[in-house]
Amino acid sequence: MTQKVQVTRPTKIELARLKRRMKLATRIQKIVKDRLSILIMEFLQTVRECALHKGKMLADFKEAYKALSMTTGYHGYASLEKELLASEMAFRITSYTRNVAGVRMPVFETEGTDRSPARNTPDTSALTDNSARLARECLKQVIQLAELQNSLELLGTEINKVKRVNNALEYIVIPGLDATIKYLTMKFEERDREEVARLKYVKLLIEQREAYAY
Amino acid sequence: MPINKGPPDRTFEDSLHGDLKTLNFYLPKKRKQLKKLLEEGRPHVMCSDGSTHYFRKKELEYLAGILNNNEHHLLLLPIIIEVGSEHDLLLVRSRTGIEAKIFSSVLGMPVTVKTDMIFIVKPQLAVVRKILKTTTQYAFTI
Repeated sequence: MTQKVQVTRPTKIELARLKRRMKLATRIQKIVKDRLSILIMEFLQTVRECALHKGKMLADFKEAYKALSMTTGYHGYASLEKELLASEMAFRITSYTRNVAGVRMPVFETEGTDRSPARNTPDTSALTDNSARLARECLKQVIQLAELQNSLELLGTEINKVKRVNNALEYIVIPGLDATIKYLTMKFEERDREEVARLKYVKLLIEQREAYAY
Repeated sequence: MPINKGPPDRTFEDSLHGDLKTLNFYLPKKRKQLKKLLEEGRPHVMCSDGSTHYFRKKELEYLAGILNNNEHHLLLLPIIIEVGSEHDLLLVRSRTGIEAKIFSSVLGMPVTVKTDMIFIVKPQLAVVRKILKTTTQYAFTI
């Protein structure tokens, strides 16, 4: 790919400035690459955890539905619905933020999901308690999965941004600067060669003039 | 060969300078002792960019379990993992050596310690980050 040479005036000062800019761009590219590799590592880890939690959540839901259908069969739908409406379970989700290489990710923590709600004991059985416990487990898994999926989305967006910066540096800025530096270096070398040739010619002219003088 | 110096180039350079300046702005202003964090209701530290970084209580309890009671005030959190462009190893600065104890416990193997510095490799980092998600943070060094 041909690179656009960006130079206002072909001077040595300009060359020094370009070299300094090149050094800065290379340094930044290294950091950007490091950040990208860290973000990708975090992303892959989150993907793995997400898949694990999703599998666990599906298994939990399967168990919970099984238990619920058994409870419904034992108590009857109307009785169970009445019981569920009467028993309330207060729980709280607290949302925090954590920082991973500049990305603010959410942290969800649940409080109060471990306690079993107050129930009318004569009208319920161990089956009801079991299905309620499994439902609580499902809720926990859903919250954890929400946290992971949100993190995944945020990490993905940041990776895209960092990748764009890295590509701009790798394919546009650094090659452009490199081409400009090369162009200037060649120009100075050419100027030097011209200077040498001119000096030789002048020397020859002086020698010729001196020869004619005698 | 086209020769020009347009404003987009300058803008990009400015943005790069900005990136470099704000690179580690998410790091905490001041780290806190594990002992203090364990006493807090919502353990957190304030970051340089004004945001708040919260710690999971479970992680703090896990760290407290690794260390003795008299070592709780020696550990400063979050543990900063330095990612440098010069070497492939990741570096953790540790004055007290407590971090080495934690890392070797998490990894299940002794870690390389050289003059107040702990060196870990990237595969080990994944293991550490899996367990200590909120109690470790990255710092990018030039």
